[in-house]
Amino acid sequence: MGQTWASRLIIFTTLLFLVGPFIIIIFAGLSAGSSLAFPPDGLSLKWYLAVFEVESFRQSFVLSMFLAVGGTLTALVIGVPAAYAICRYNIPGAETIKIIVAAPIIVPGIIVGLALLRYLVVPLEFTVTLALFLAHTALVLPYAVRVVSASLQNLRTDIEEAAVLLGCNRLQAFTKVILPNIRSGILAAFILGFVTSFNQVPVSLFLSGPGVRTLPIDMLAYMEITYDPSVAALSALLAFLSIGIVFIAEKTLGFSRYV
Amino acid sequence: MSNIAVSLQNLTLAYGDTIAVPSLNLDIIDGELIALLGPSGCGKTTTMRAIAGLMKPRSGTILIDGKDVTKTPANKRGVGLVFQSYALFPHLTGFENVAFGLRLKKRPNDEIVQRVEAGLELVGLSHLATRKPSELSGGQQQRLSLARSLVMEPKVLLLDEPLSNLDARLRLDMRTELQALQRQTGITMVFVTHDQSEALALADRIVLMKNGHIEQIGSPEALYDSPQTVFAADFVGFENIFSVGLNTQNEGTTIYNNTGELTLPYQANVSHLAWRPGGVVVGSGPHKGVVTGMAFAGDKREYVITTSAGKIKADVDVSVPAIQIGEDVFFDLPESSARMLDDKATQTQFKHG
Amino acid sequence: MFQNRTEGLALVLPAAVFIAVLFLFPVGILLSEGFKVGGEWSLAGYADFVSKPLNRTVFFRTLKLGFLVAFVSAIIGYATAFCIVNLEPAQRGRVFGLIILPLMISPVARTYAWIVILGRTGIVNKAIVGMGLSDSPIRFLFTETAVFIGLLQLFMPLMIVSLISAMENLPKDAIPAARVLGASWLQVFTKVILPLTREGLVLGGTLVFTGALTAYITPAILGGSKVLMLETLLYQRVNVSNDYVSAGIIATILIVMCFGANVVLRRVAKA
Repeated sequence: MGQTWASRLIIFTTLLFLVGPFIIIIFAGLSAGSSLAFPPDGLSLKWYLAVFEVESFRQSFVLSMFLAVGGTLTALVIGVPAAYAICRYNIPGAETIKIIVAAPIIVPGIIVGLALLRYLVVPLEFTVTLALFLAHTALVLPYAVRVVSASLQNLRTDIEEAAVLLGCNRLQAFTKVILPNIRSGILAAFILGFVTSFNQVPVSLFLSGPGVRTLPIDMLAYMEITYDPSVAALSALLAFLSIGIVFIAEKTLGFSRYV
Repeated sequence: MSNIAVSLQNLTLAYGDTIAVPSLNLDIIDGELIALLGPSGCGKTTTMRAIAGLMKPRSGTILIDGKDVTKTPANKRGVGLVFQSYALFPHLTGFENVAFGLRLKKRPNDEIVQRVEAGLELVGLSHLATRKPSELSGGQQQRLSLARSLVMEPKVLLLDEPLSNLDARLRLDMRTELQALQRQTGITMVFVTHDQSEALALADRIVLMKNGHIEQIGSPEALYDSPQTVFAADFVGFENIFSVGLNTQNEGTTIYNNTGELTLPYQANVSHLAWRPGGVVVGSGPHKGVVTGMAFAGDKREYVITTSAGKIKADVDVSVPAIQIGEDVFFDLPESSARMLDDKATQTQFKHG
Repeated sequence: MFQNRTEGLALVLPAAVFIAVLFLFPVGILLSEGFKVGGEWSLAGYADFVSKPLNRTVFFRTLKLGFLVAFVSAIIGYATAFCIVNLEPAQRGRVFGLIILPLMISPVARTYAWIVILGRTGIVNKAIVGMGLSDSPIRFLFTETAVFIGLLQLFMPLMIVSLISAMENLPKDAIPAARVLGASWLQVFTKVILPLTREGLVLGGTLVFTGALTAYITPAILGGSKVLMLETLLYQRVNVSNDYVSAGIIATILIVMCFGANVVLRRVAKA
């Protein structure tokens, strides 16, 4: 079947282009030599282990983790009620509110980072960490609202009324009936937010100070100084982390429904 | 005199600026099975939601068991509602769905187990208690939803289109089952439907609604045999309805509809005359028409006869030889099968001439 | 039950206020800086910005790369999506997973890979020198080509995913029907596939185009200061010359282009 072969070739070529570089990164990090090369000069795990020894990587990893987890959780705390209101109530000015809430997806991150630095951090003496936290929360918020809205829309509205008629007050109806049924949507929003925040660069570009850098920014800075395979090793490790989380999410929740 | 379970007094319901129900008055008797019947948009569902407390009335009063509950929130009214698509909680098992309300009331566990099991047994679902709603058929979901409301021992049980989501055979079973449940528990049940046959078969009393008004209240027999208005007659199957013209001669009556008129050989001092298709005599009579449609319906043939007063529907027993489309026929609109309606309000429905 | 609009407003307000105050407000001030010179409202900043050849070059380069990446993504995307949709379901799932896999990986890692590939001692140069095609390594890094390749790899998955979901919604027999009626494959594409997947194409195009416009890491790593794009230019203006007027102008241009692309392309999809 010539057609099948042609189609296989097209798919293979595209995948080679999209995934190939990632495979090269993995192997470049496995190098036994001291400079970045592919194919690597011999194989060793030393660069993968060396990554853990770099103090600044450890610090920035902790910061990035804090931003990704804390920012996403905060975004969910204010995003879930917002999604609920947008889906269930006939709010005045709904369209404007939707645009406001979606804005962080459209406005380029570098602009946000710069604006926060110049008008919050400097004049109001916010710490860089606080500014980063606010920026990452804002960045993740639209995803939280969108994903949770999608799962609310799949949920019938009458089950809440049924809960009320069986004796629930509004808050109980939400916690006992709505929340358990949108749990996977919330988890999906968390994962999407986590990955988005953790990999985010432009927002954090201006928002860094001595000892306060997110991991991707730290990697960029490291690359400018040294040309050894540790960044490759770290990149590969981070990629595995993201893929692992998403893979588990996909297997348990059918994550891709929400993205 | 029987006790009044629910009393609606001057109830006005509105969505924003749109008044759905203007000033409704209705008493529902304790222990009866009553149907709110009407086409979509007649205000029947809105009325039911107001009784449940899911909708705030614009004005008026709702009494349940003699107590004013107009301002009582829905979760404290003690009213049960079986939703049209059941509204079961997808994350809970059958058992937990039924136990939901009892758990909220913090009843002791023994009592919950005992009451839930009794409830499941009542609807014949004991063997499916551990299943999630998504693993149940439509009929089972409906019975689970019933059990969930019944275990709360509501003062009134409301049912929103209880048979509409079931297939034809289940519908018959459920009809019988609902009636049996009602006799067994003695709970006052109010159900909403747009299907006249459902209301006629199930209810003790039917409230026929139109545009937020009550058009007629009565037993199924009364509604079926003696509709009081053109709307009611049309709704219970009097498909041939004519206005009665003012007739100066005393020999007969001129009846007309949008397209034309006929003169009947007898007198009728009412505003409208109506016949069911089965009440029209085909094959003999003083009027002539052309058969323009025929459908075989098992025990009868349903004809459409085009006459000087438009199309008339007539059912003829299948034992009578078929009349072909295009043939001329004589027919009669006999006085004996005519429903005489004095519905001055609907006079303007048909244009003269 | 949901008739109380104030209740709804109260629930949505924290999110809306959070974004308005901590996000839109500072961004708004930044944009306004482009319209000020020495504290006075003025368009002189824009006139000055436009008069500099470098700015114009960077602007048109950004626009060009955005279009080019979107265009090439669409071509490769159609071919790939068409092949993927015709796979059997199990295989399709696996290939789909591999297509979206890069989206989960940090853009820093993804861009970094191209240094390994395109660098002086990268595999491409090793191959070229090894095969004797050139005596010395060819410079790929810090060229427009490198930036283009990096952006293409970064954003093409978004196009493919959009096109796949559009093609999955194609009526099942549309293509065989067109073939039976005598259409050539080119006609099948232009008369059947293209019109029916237009919305997916537009959505993917918007994502890729705006993504490429606002990418920072790729032009920073693969283009450096030799191949500036608007984002890297903005960074440079702020970090090197503390020029907030230019920063405000570039920010305005970027936002206008992104919103513009969203609005215009949505119109195109509906027309």
